[in-house]
Amino acid sequence: MEVKDLAFFVLAASAVWTGWRVFRVDSMVRASFSLMLSFIAVGLIMLLLAAPYIGIATVFMMAVEMMVMALFMVMFMMNPAGLNPMWMVHQHRLAAATGFITFAALTIAVLLSDLPGNPVDPAKPVIHDLGVELLGNSMLIFETAGITLLATMVGTVILSSRSGRYGPADEGSLPPPLTPGGRPAGRVPEDEE
Amino acid sequence: MSAAVPIIVLFYVLGVGAWLAAALDRAALKLMAGRPLAAATMAEPWRQGDLHLVRQRIWTERPDAMNWLLAPALYLILAAVGMSVVPFAPGFVVADLDAGIVLWGACEALTVVVVFLHGWSANAPLPLIGAYRYVAIGLSAMLLSMFVLIAAALPAESLAVSAIVESQASVWNVVRQPPGLLLFLMLGLSLTLRGPFDYADASDLAGGTSAEDSGPARAAWQAARLAMLVSVSAMTSAVFLGGYHGPWLPGPVWMLVKMAGVLAALVGATHMLARLPPARMLTLLWTVLLPLAFLVLALVGAEVLLWK
Repeated sequence: MEVKDLAFFVLAASAVWTGWRVFRVDSMVRASFSLMLSFIAVGLIMLLLAAPYIGIATVFMMAVEMMVMALFMVMFMMNPAGLNPMWMVHQHRLAAATGFITFAALTIAVLLSDLPGNPVDPAKPVIHDLGVELLGNSMLIFETAGITLLATMVGTVILSSRSGRYGPADEGSLPPPLTPGGRPAGRVPEDEE
Repeated sequence: MSAAVPIIVLFYVLGVGAWLAAALDRAALKLMAGRPLAAATMAEPWRQGDLHLVRQRIWTERPDAMNWLLAPALYLILAAVGMSVVPFAPGFVVADLDAGIVLWGACEALTVVVVFLHGWSANAPLPLIGAYRYVAIGLSAMLLSMFVLIAAALPAESLAVSAIVESQASVWNVVRQPPGLLLFLMLGLSLTLRGPFDYADASDLAGGTSAEDSGPARAAWQAARLAMLVSVSAMTSAVFLGGYHGPWLPGPVWMLVKMAGVLAALVGATHMLARLPPARMLTLLWTVLLPLAFLVLALVGAEVLLWK
């Protein structure tokens, strides 16, 4: 038990430390992967809580997500490698104050609530039970959440890509031609050639 | 039996396997060139490794030193952790996790991150291009492998690698789902930056993410790539080729024979298959191979429902 307690405190401290580093580093790639380390520490805490599937899946999901995030952030910014030092925060006083107040409120809520002490029997097939739950009674909630997230992502991309580089995208924005009256510049997709 | 024995065996297999893979790499080149094989070929990897070790380390301008130094070590650790869920005989496994293939999947995902960091942290153009190019292909190949692994886990009705091996006592998964094996081998090439999937460390970028590596760091990165190749061959043998199951010979011997076979196949593919341009490869992955993985998953699901 004592090893588990120690592991919890080490992991919790590293989750907070790496989470704090997200806002202190000067590069988007470093910020993304600091956040990834923070989530990995949380995933390992899930392992201690006898939720092996959710814990390891968190590590997996966060590795993929942060990789994609780092790639896209660097791609959309004018900092080709993400290694040039840059200021990583906006409205930082407001954000820091909100963060500390939320952290304090949640900590107080956790400390004041009566949490159940209910160790899981090691022989219990937790992964099997989770699968039955997710694809049984909770399937509607699970699928609704999934579709909602997907719709949100598609909607965000559509909304944010309307104003194209050469005018509104829904009015057929095209790059100007290189010679007067010529074809629009830029790459022509293979199937339109 | 002490819990340390499987751990020692794991590192031993990783080390010997890496050397075997490096020797096979050189032997394959000689065979293809029609030159005679000499016993010295087997020692060549050691000589080249020694050369790297005595050379000095070059530093670029303002690199991310921590990530640059850590990348080879993390790559090696991911190879070892991924292989730790693979049983070499019934019960002879470092970590017999119920979510074994999920852990392997996490190692795959983190490998893409580590390769990216290796190229990014040097703060130099060619490694960076290699890193970006690799992420686009590597992430897609990794996504695909998740469906392949789930299809392999379906007949076992478990995510534990030992249960998947046990479910192949009568029929190996390669018979049940041959495309799965091919797709997984493809992922192996992608995880180890090899041949048709070498978008990270390719020669068109003068070595890509390791273009600025020199000295011990270069030796460590190449050794980690070889160790990951061994790890992939162990996982392939366990999940698709029946693991330690086989007639006449004892289980662990079968496992090692199958691993050596997969190593040879991957080394052969490295040298014999050409690489597609990245945009074409991405189209192929998303429009042909991903639907193929879905199809395999659906067919295996139907098989399990109908015949079990």
